[in-house]
Amino acid sequence: MSIEVKNLSFRYGKITALNDVTLKLGAGAVGLLGPNGAGKSTLLRILLGFLVPEKGEGTVLGYDIRREQDNIRRSVGYMPEDDCFIAGMDAVTFTAYFGELSGMPREEAMKRAHEVLFYVGLEEARYRLLDTYSAGMKQRLKMAQALVHDPKLLFLDEPTSNLDPQGRDEVLELIADVASHKDIQVLLSSHILADIETLCASVVILNKGKVAAEGRLEDLRVTDLSLYELKIKGDGGAFLKDLEAMKCRVEETEDRLIKVYMPADRNRMEIFRAAARTGVQIRYFVMSRTSLEDLFAQVVGVD
Amino acid sequence: MATVREKGYYHWDGRLVERRLPWLPITRTGIMLAFKKRGFRFLFAGAFLPGVVLLAFVYMSENLESFQAMIRSSDRLISVTPGSFKVFFTAPLFLWILMLVFAGSGLVADDLKHNSLQIYFSRPLRKKDYLLGKMAVVFFFILAVTLVPALLVFSFKLIFAGSFKFFLAYPWLLLSIIGFSAFLAVFFAFYTLLLSCLSKNSRYVMVLVFMIYIFSDVLFGILQSIFRTHYMALFSIRANIDQVGALVFAQKPVHPIPVLWSCLVLGGVCALSALVLNRKIRGVEVIR
Repeated sequence: MSIEVKNLSFRYGKITALNDVTLKLGAGAVGLLGPNGAGKSTLLRILLGFLVPEKGEGTVLGYDIRREQDNIRRSVGYMPEDDCFIAGMDAVTFTAYFGELSGMPREEAMKRAHEVLFYVGLEEARYRLLDTYSAGMKQRLKMAQALVHDPKLLFLDEPTSNLDPQGRDEVLELIADVASHKDIQVLLSSHILADIETLCASVVILNKGKVAAEGRLEDLRVTDLSLYELKIKGDGGAFLKDLEAMKCRVEETEDRLIKVYMPADRNRMEIFRAAARTGVQIRYFVMSRTSLEDLFAQVVGVD
Repeated sequence: MATVREKGYYHWDGRLVERRLPWLPITRTGIMLAFKKRGFRFLFAGAFLPGVVLLAFVYMSENLESFQAMIRSSDRLISVTPGSFKVFFTAPLFLWILMLVFAGSGLVADDLKHNSLQIYFSRPLRKKDYLLGKMAVVFFFILAVTLVPALLVFSFKLIFAGSFKFFLAYPWLLLSIIGFSAFLAVFFAFYTLLLSCLSKNSRYVMVLVFMIYIFSDVLFGILQSIFRTHYMALFSIRANIDQVGALVFAQKPVHPIPVLWSCLVLGGVCALSALVLNRKIRGVEVIR
């Protein structure tokens, strides 16, 4: 297990940020999701060793989060959400500098800086002043500084924010490459559910300081809801009320597609029976997959 | 923009080491960035001028016969004593402040502006390492223009004299030179970093570093003319440093007030700086 925490609790004064969080994150890319104030940042802070938990214990790559913070920081690469650079520096100096601060010998850090800048696609701009970089280039630069010391685990905080669609695709491609082929585990915190869905095999959803859902995306999708998409002819009001009476969650899209989230223990034939009862014709019926968005809405309790 | 992964990723087969001086790369980078600033090299070279002048005095004092034509009034004018060193350390403060305006203003302010604290502290780096690294930049520049020239002048004095008479006459002077240089370096490091962490705009900090030094002296002048008391010197950074310099080089203080008070004022600035820096420099605030 790359990250293992048990009964982790943390408070900011009277506000409980994390409440008895227990997690085990394995290999590959893991998505960290949650609404604002869910405790994602606090969890990252504790994992990076910035905060000492009030209660509980944990390890990152086998290092204790209370006692071995330096070892954790040496083994983890961190790509923050905000633009961060040092004015007056070029990319090679910047990347090598942070490699050196991670504990690399100076010459090695410089050599390695060239390699990772090539890898993230900044080879042609590596001697340009960082002040002149575009948003996409700064994003790649942050990735380069996170990778320079060859970490075993990458913490990526909103890696695609403020990027145009092409830049977003390129950064996603890069993260996917790192996560799938380079023996580097990735913990990706993002509010863009599609990014997490694209990159991560597992997900952790935090809500109000507690783990609301955790596990492989495939498993979570099929846990307790079946999603059916249908189109009907006739007055749907009574039909929809009937479905809701059967504990189904019903959503209607702008193009009159009805999404029915049915508890897994119920039979889909009940939808047809309800249609028959209320005099509605079902013109289109497809069993669909619940998306991460659905799962998020379900566990966090928002539409 | 170039294509992603043209060359491919390779694992690094080296081993990360635990540095004995983890702050050293920060200092080296701070010094390098200062030299990249426009006009700084000129200022840095100019800050050596007092050392060159003192060296010239030393040479002239040891070769009085050659300069008889130039100096007719009194040879006391060019005699080198501990007082000359005190003047060397306290008279060009303005010049050194000017150098710090360029070299030190952005030390913390730029990191705050560009959010780089979070990547510093995601490294195996403590707050004290970060601060020590930044302070050492100021130490470097202050010691380069104070300690190095003063030691050179002291050595040349002995060489030109061809004897240890000067050393034996003032055996404590070498310690005073080292001690007062260290004092200046520490005070200016705290002073510069305190102001540098108060704003994200390094230009604003440049103005602050310069103006607070000047303003404290102007305030002293105004208050002294109103209240007619030397105690108003405690408001002036320059006057307080001058008082401490007088004590260290065994000279009569310009203002007849206890030097301890000046030490307390300057120490207070350092303590305030440590307090503010401790609050402002935090790794946890930057991860949202």
